[in-house]
Amino acid sequence: MRNIILPGEEISDQPMRLSNTYVENGKTYASVVGMLDEEGRYTPLESVYSPRPGDTVVGIVVDVRHHGFVIDVNLSSNATLPARDTRLRLEMGDLVFGKIGRIFPSGDIDLQDVRKLSGGKIFDVPTAKVPRIIGKKSSMLDMIRESTNTKIVVGNNGYIWISEQGNIPLVMKVIEYIVENAHKKGLTDKMSEFIKKHME
Amino acid sequence: MSKKEEVFKDGKRPDGRANDELRPMKMKVGILSNADGSSYLEWGGNKVICGVYGPREAIPKHSQDPKKSLVKVKYSMSTFASKEEHGRAGPSRRSNEISKVIKEALENMVFTEKYPRTQIDVFVDVLQAEGGTRVASITAAALALADAGIPMKDMCCGVAVGKAGDQIIVDLGKEEDNLGQSDMPLALSNRDKNILLLQMDGLLTLEEIEKAIELAEKASDKIHEMQKKAINSVYTEEPEEVFTM
Repeated sequence: MRNIILPGEEISDQPMRLSNTYVENGKTYASVVGMLDEEGRYTPLESVYSPRPGDTVVGIVVDVRHHGFVIDVNLSSNATLPARDTRLRLEMGDLVFGKIGRIFPSGDIDLQDVRKLSGGKIFDVPTAKVPRIIGKKSSMLDMIRESTNTKIVVGNNGYIWISEQGNIPLVMKVIEYIVENAHKKGLTDKMSEFIKKHME
Repeated sequence: MSKKEEVFKDGKRPDGRANDELRPMKMKVGILSNADGSSYLEWGGNKVICGVYGPREAIPKHSQDPKKSLVKVKYSMSTFASKEEHGRAGPSRRSNEISKVIKEALENMVFTEKYPRTQIDVFVDVLQAEGGTRVASITAAALALADAGIPMKDMCCGVAVGKAGDQIIVDLGKEEDNLGQSDMPLALSNRDKNILLLQMDGLLTLEEIEKAIELAEKASDKIHEMQKKAINSVYTEEPEEVFTM
């Protein structure tokens, strides 16, 4: 039986290092709403995105400065792409994706391996649902890409980019469906049914 | 017979509740689509709506704390909230005080050090009031914070205890609050029963306070059950399903 866990409920009587948990008196407690399955694995259902080096993020260029580009990546402060790290010529409003490089103790974030996304559009989803949109070894994402003929880039920060060509209304519907049903089992099978139904 | 004697005649509470009985409650989570987290709470005649935003960049910038996130609470009571008119809806002496005590209660629950230089906004609007709106606001705010996915040490809830008609009672309604002997709003964390808020009107002896806190702890368990149900209901349209990553 799955079990919905509220902040402050015990996950394990052993100290464990997991995201969205904390240890007190040698026991591990949840710090956000999550789910605990039979094997004692804890999955957060609601969470605030906290960046880690190497995460893929999608962003919007909000400022062009001498030292680099300022990019909105759905965080409380904007990330920067230092000018010396890139040859791209970006303008305000350009959509990009890249990886999180360094995170400074002050909370400033540098991006690396940034590429420009031409055209298309961005929308956001709750970050706790992103792993479900990607699926195991990106199985879910591949399925959506194939069946709708679109290019999609999913950022860990909850921003999703979709290309201009392909069946965009269907992609939007599919992602909405995943976000609503993210906590359910056998989602990939349900998704293929859902897509079949809407393709006709 | 004065109004006071009328309300507490034959040692019963005005609405016929037992001394440790709470007013009926209804909670719902995720009702505002534009807020990061939200909740709605009906508690007796109280109707409270709460929205949470953040963590987002703290404004004004000079208020930013490089070590932790700021919790900013705005409690406001609607002009039409209760039988007597409440004047204008803007900040008042009363609402500033309640905003402050709610903020201090929530600050102790949220891991503020995780999000430096940011603020977490909590907006509580009282749509209808019938005694005990500050404790209802804390209960609703804790739910909305959980819905927003903001990391917290524990869930918390508020409950008022007090003395009316010479009896220690839980969850005072408007009449008991105004005409009773004493009113003590409390906010407690769920697991350790740490006291996050304690205010008192009127007089209680030390023994009475101890008894009242004991009753409040029992009541907070009941409220936590309701909070849990509210969050559960978001995920349980098909109870037989199991989710694994």
